[in-house]
Amino acid sequence: MNDSDKWERMLRQALASPGEPEEKLNQSILNRVEERNSMNHVYRKRLSTGVMVAVLTLVMSVTAIAATQFFSSDQVAVQLGEKILAKAFESSDAIEVNKSVDSGDYKFTLHGIVSGAGLKELNESNSTNEIHPERTYAVVSIARQDGRPMPKTSDPEYGEESFFISPLIKGLKPWQVNIASMRGGYSEVVLNGIQYRLIECDDVDMFADRGVYLAVSSGSPFYNSEAFAYNESTGEVTAKSDYDGVSLLMDLPLDKAKADPAKAEAYLKELLKEPESGTKTDPAETELANRIEELKKRLADGKVIQESVKEVTYDKDGRINYEYDGWSVKLSPEMLFAEGQTGFSDAVQFSEADGHYLGLQFHKDEKGVITGMVIDLK
Amino acid sequence: MDIDELTNLINIHGKAVYGFCYRLAGNKEDADDLYQETFLKAIEVIHKMDANQNPKSFLIAIAIRLRKNNRRKFAWRQRIAPTAELNEAVDHAPVSESEATPEDAVLSHELRGLIQAAAERLDDKLKIPLYMHYTAEMSIEEIAQALRIPPGTVKSRLFKARSNMKKLLEVEST
Repeated sequence: MNDSDKWERMLRQALASPGEPEEKLNQSILNRVEERNSMNHVYRKRLSTGVMVAVLTLVMSVTAIAATQFFSSDQVAVQLGEKILAKAFESSDAIEVNKSVDSGDYKFTLHGIVSGAGLKELNESNSTNEIHPERTYAVVSIARQDGRPMPKTSDPEYGEESFFISPLIKGLKPWQVNIASMRGGYSEVVLNGIQYRLIECDDVDMFADRGVYLAVSSGSPFYNSEAFAYNESTGEVTAKSDYDGVSLLMDLPLDKAKADPAKAEAYLKELLKEPESGTKTDPAETELANRIEELKKRLADGKVIQESVKEVTYDKDGRINYEYDGWSVKLSPEMLFAEGQTGFSDAVQFSEADGHYLGLQFHKDEKGVITGMVIDLK
Repeated sequence: MDIDELTNLINIHGKAVYGFCYRLAGNKEDADDLYQETFLKAIEVIHKMDANQNPKSFLIAIAIRLRKNNRRKFAWRQRIAPTAELNEAVDHAPVSESEATPEDAVLSHELRGLIQAAAERLDDKLKIPLYMHYTAEMSIEEIAQALRIPPGTVKSRLFKARSNMKKLLEVEST
């Protein structure tokens, strides 16, 4: 064996793979992918009922670097490893805003926003971090008003106070059209005690002629009707001043020339369409739906179980809780009632034992008080 | 890509990709992160893979780009991660002793450590093809495809990597 062969063998041995990935690591990848797939599925399925969906959160911990003031949108993008996006924030398509609003204990600053066809040219052919011209990206920062630093992403307190930061479109129901339904997500980084959030979702430029808000609320990463009010007749969204937490709206200074009403119409049609409608449905599902309709008709003749009539309670995320004799319901009130809707909920839960049916229905009065009750269908 | 295809990809290429991530990252924690991010990214961009592209080249290319993007994070972690961890990992690294013939007698821990340290000191331009070849067991063509450089350039970089390491080792041992 000559020297070169020996050297080759030594290298192969010394640099051989130091081990295999642990089983739990592989499993965690599979779980995350499965979770993502099921979230996408839920998103499509639930959209018709106007329910908020979970936002995919990508949290990256990045070391802080010295700076005296705010980081700019492009610097934040660099910190999050989004180099192409950083270039986009420096491009002519970007709008630098740098507008701050105080709400609750925090100061929120919208730094910049970018979207548009120009983004396509910035993509590098071999890059895996592509940006899409059909998406909107914005950087928002959160700072405490008392000057204390926000928790680092590695701190256990990080994320304890959750925020919903999303564009909302004037004239469109905010619980139906927001970052979650517009295939959005965000990444965060904490630099010098200031939390920066890079949000992205489907392009909002097409709605520029209608007026687009940036909404921020605390208490939940989802749209919360406790924090905002929607006026169906004017299409205006307003922040509720009596909300116990952060609730604010800013106008996004979009270029009205970029509005595309036809595209917006088509987008909304797709976004708001009932799933499966017009397509072949599963016979078992149809049968179930028919049975539920039949049971709903019997509600009117049913007998309300008096002990079950209870006003619901709310948890800190604004979800209602109702419990009675083995029934336990915890859900967002938007699932039951549209904004401004009063009377009985359309949704009813049924349970059956030995051919005996019970239904759980909710009622909302004019004051907004929601009461749950179990009805015996006899 | 569905879960079965992903499981298949992990089963076939997981070890090579993990080994490569480990060498590149230098510690288990970052290797685990990089490995996981590589597969998650691969799912997102799988549509970009050419029909004739080798999946291993595709995965390794993603790992290289992710590592470049996150170098600040990895570099920072490495500073706080004690080097002892790496040495310990080296000592416990499985060596295919059963396949060793008497003449290529298993390398002593010390020599193995020296070779690894010399490789680590190489410039990325030389180190990456070196790990692709010896750790991920990729051919010259596969490396060329993943790095989008001509095969001749891969060969010359490997040659240079080896000779630089030799020099480093000679200095170390004198």
